[in-house]
Amino acid sequence: MSGVEWKLERVEREAVLDAPPEEVWESLTDDERLGEWLAEEAEIDAVEGGELRVREAGGGERRGIVETVVEGERLSFTWARPGEAPSLVDFTIEAVPAGTRLRVIETSAGGPSAMAGAWSARVGALRRALLLLPV
Amino acid sequence: MAKVDPVFAALADPTRRHLLETLARSERASATALAGQLPISRQAVAKHLTALRKADLVGSDRVGRETLYSLRPEPLREVSKWIETVGAEWDERLAKLRWSLGSGPGSQ
Repeated sequence: MSGVEWKLERVEREAVLDAPPEEVWESLTDDERLGEWLAEEAEIDAVEGGELRVREAGGGERRGIVETVVEGERLSFTWARPGEAPSLVDFTIEAVPAGTRLRVIETSAGGPSAMAGAWSARVGALRRALLLLPV
Repeated sequence: MAKVDPVFAALADPTRRHLLETLARSERASATALAGQLPISRQAVAKHLTALRKADLVGSDRVGRETLYSLRPEPLREVSKWIETVGAEWDERLAKLRWSLGSGPGSQ
């Protein structure tokens, strides 16, 4: 993923969950558990380079690639809808007295200057790698 | 290494944010007029305006011997729309996650 310009569009959320970190990790990495909250249906191969496929409530699909896995602590992946710019989703898990703090940051590779020069070629390559529709 | 987004870089500077706010209020203004409102030189203002133009946040027109600058709000609108939509998506997902953890096996 080095060399891809991650853009201004960035959203960050945090939740303290009443569950141990191991259970929250399960929720991030088990297909069935993911289907309870991330999307209608999800399949994830939770290893670096592994594939992610998600079906959304509206019927739309997103596909992506797992980027970083630190067992029990950190999971990140890129995902995108066909023909759209990908984003990077980054989860961090931390044990806290009240349970587990889960932090998620989604950063879009799309944006106002998205079509500038060499960056556009990188996004194109990423899209093809994700087997999405060509731009 | 990921490079810094030009829009993000443009907005990171308080002088540039001030310039954008000023341009949002006036229709068009020259670098000289904009510099008149700030405790920095016209050259410094011109440099900031170049950065803003690179980020497509500001447009320019030659009118006679002057260059007049104007705000381009489209990039900022796109950004805030995305932030709003995706923020709402994550709020919903986290609420579902919280619920699924509360009612799953092993919960009290």
